[in-house]
Amino acid sequence: MKILIVEDEPKTGEYLQQGLSEAGFVTDLVRDGFDGLHQATTETYDLVILDVMLPGLDGWKVLEAIRRFGKEMPVLFLTARDQVEDRVRGLEIGADDYLIKPFAFSELLARVRTLLRRGKANDPQVLKVADLELDLLRRRVVRAGHRIDLTAKEFALLELLLRRQGEVLPRSLIASQVWDMNFDSDSNVIEVAMRRLRAKVDDDFELKLIRTVRGMGYVLEASD
Amino acid sequence: MRLPRIRSIVLRLTLAYALASSAVLTGMAIVISRSVEMHFAEEDSEMLEGKLELIRHTAAEVHDEAGFATFAKQLDDALVGHHELEVAVLRKTGQPLYITAGGVFPPRIASAGELPETGRVLSWGEGEHAFRGLAARVAPGSPDLAPLKVVVATGIAHHNHFMQSFRRSLWGFVILATGVSGLLGWFVARRGLLPVAALTEATRKVTARRLDNRLSTTELPSELRELAAEFNQMLERLEDAFRRLSDFSSDIAHELRTPISNLMTQTQVALSRSRTPEEYQEALLSNTEEFERLARMLNDMLFLAKADNGLVIPKLETIDLAREVSDVFAFYEALAESRGLRLHLQGTVPGVMGDRLMLRRALSNLVANAIRHAFTNSEISACLTSDEDSVSVSVENRGNTIPPEIIDRLFDRFFRADPARSQSSEGAGLGLAITRSIVLAHRGTLSASSRDERTVFEIRLPRTAEAAVS
Repeated sequence: MKILIVEDEPKTGEYLQQGLSEAGFVTDLVRDGFDGLHQATTETYDLVILDVMLPGLDGWKVLEAIRRFGKEMPVLFLTARDQVEDRVRGLEIGADDYLIKPFAFSELLARVRTLLRRGKANDPQVLKVADLELDLLRRRVVRAGHRIDLTAKEFALLELLLRRQGEVLPRSLIASQVWDMNFDSDSNVIEVAMRRLRAKVDDDFELKLIRTVRGMGYVLEASD
Repeated sequence: MRLPRIRSIVLRLTLAYALASSAVLTGMAIVISRSVEMHFAEEDSEMLEGKLELIRHTAAEVHDEAGFATFAKQLDDALVGHHELEVAVLRKTGQPLYITAGGVFPPRIASAGELPETGRVLSWGEGEHAFRGLAARVAPGSPDLAPLKVVVATGIAHHNHFMQSFRRSLWGFVILATGVSGLLGWFVARRGLLPVAALTEATRKVTARRLDNRLSTTELPSELRELAAEFNQMLERLEDAFRRLSDFSSDIAHELRTPISNLMTQTQVALSRSRTPEEYQEALLSNTEEFERLARMLNDMLFLAKADNGLVIPKLETIDLAREVSDVFAFYEALAESRGLRLHLQGTVPGVMGDRLMLRRALSNLVANAIRHAFTNSEISACLTSDEDSVSVSVENRGNTIPPEIIDRLFDRFFRADPARSQSSEGAGLGLAITRSIVLAHRGTLSASSRDERTVFEIRLPRTAEAAVS
């Protein structure tokens, strides 16, 4: 997976590149709008991360030019200005998502993965990891042959973790996806909910599937 | 064609005064000169008709041709001393029978003969002479004698003379009076507008540094008092906004100081000597948590700043508050249970117009606050009620009674009832301020009350869509 980063702020650019490279992506970093447009239209990328405020050619214009050129890869906007008009404008001219600075890197990573996954038909009825099975149709969870009773929200939470296994999911993303709380809620609600889920899913088993990544969020994977 | 607009009030008033007084005076002058003229004319015609009557009487005494000689003599006697009176008596043939001596008629007698014998008073001019007079047919005493034509006239040159000079001085007076009243108007307008200049001067003294200056309204004329009062109110609002802004800036600086100093110390200590990877990791993780808190605070403050500037415009849709509360409860359920708290919802209300995300956030803050301050193993209840104009959601928890002197400050940003808890994980003390901003953006009210270990927060929203739209 190849990602183009267009970001003029040197530190941000470098950290984005390092973080995404370490997450397993191939990345190119350019510093201004003209280079960004040139790279995006001459090379092939799976995703573009585009800063709005750029020297030379701003993010809007770069995006418009990319779309005019016929390139359809997803574009994620980074903006320091949280204005509704900005978002609307970005989405209108063909941005796929936006993040407002400052953002958590785990959030960015989660958004990038969502965008890259989009459009790929991948909807199994049963989600599995190690000896854990989640049956979406029958709304049933089984681990090592034992039925686990979950509340509706716990089921949704586990489904999210399973669908995105191996990915570190930030708390804000979990709150938004499972409870539809699309704002910072500064309580340790997610922590408690996760603890209860783990009590049901992991506590009685040798192999722990759900892990807390401190400072980042939660991940479900069958690591040894 | 449009007249150019006159921008100066003084000039405008001056012109208005001058125009008004000149119109009034002109009218008056016309009336006066007309009536004086009419008076003269009446006097003349009375005199002329009297003379004609006299001549008629005298003529009635004439019974034969010889009588005409006495007739002329009698007329001479009767008319003596009447200066400027001209009388001509003509035979039917046009031959003069009698003409006043020394008068101006003789050379012009022909024209006197041309006058119609109507008996009505007429004015006419002959060269430099102006006359008012009348002509009539007079029958002598005997029917055998042919009727006579009598012309009685008086010179009116002296009248005209008088009228001319009278009019001249009248118009002179009108012009002078117009000028004087214009001047007076200018003076009065200037005097009248002096308070405006004073107001301007007072206004000039108001600066960002001295917003506490107020205009004194007692000495102002009543027309300007309201303006000054409004101006003072505007100053008050400005001062309030300005003070809040500067409070806000100092709050931000204050709130940022602690976490930033923590971060600096921690990072510098970590770097001060070589450490194991685990120790570095620990330092970075701790930093991350601190940064996340900072970022959250920043976002909250930006939200509040936008709310203050009226930029938070709700997207209106119909909201089922019962559903929102139960969704929020579902979110907090696990946390509440871990503290032995029961969440209870009662009542339903009709839908209200509002922004779903924002109302959810407002409710979420109230519930989080209630959980934070509730006694363990107690109940938190949300109660929905409605009346004709509004719907209300109240969230009640059992907990330490909040002293009344604090309760009004709960919605202030960065306010924490317990200063010792300021740096716990519970946020920057912006939650209730955000809730209030959201409720205000929906044209609603947020209130709090606390007694007997029961604390209630109530959101009241207007039911009509018009009231919710800003």
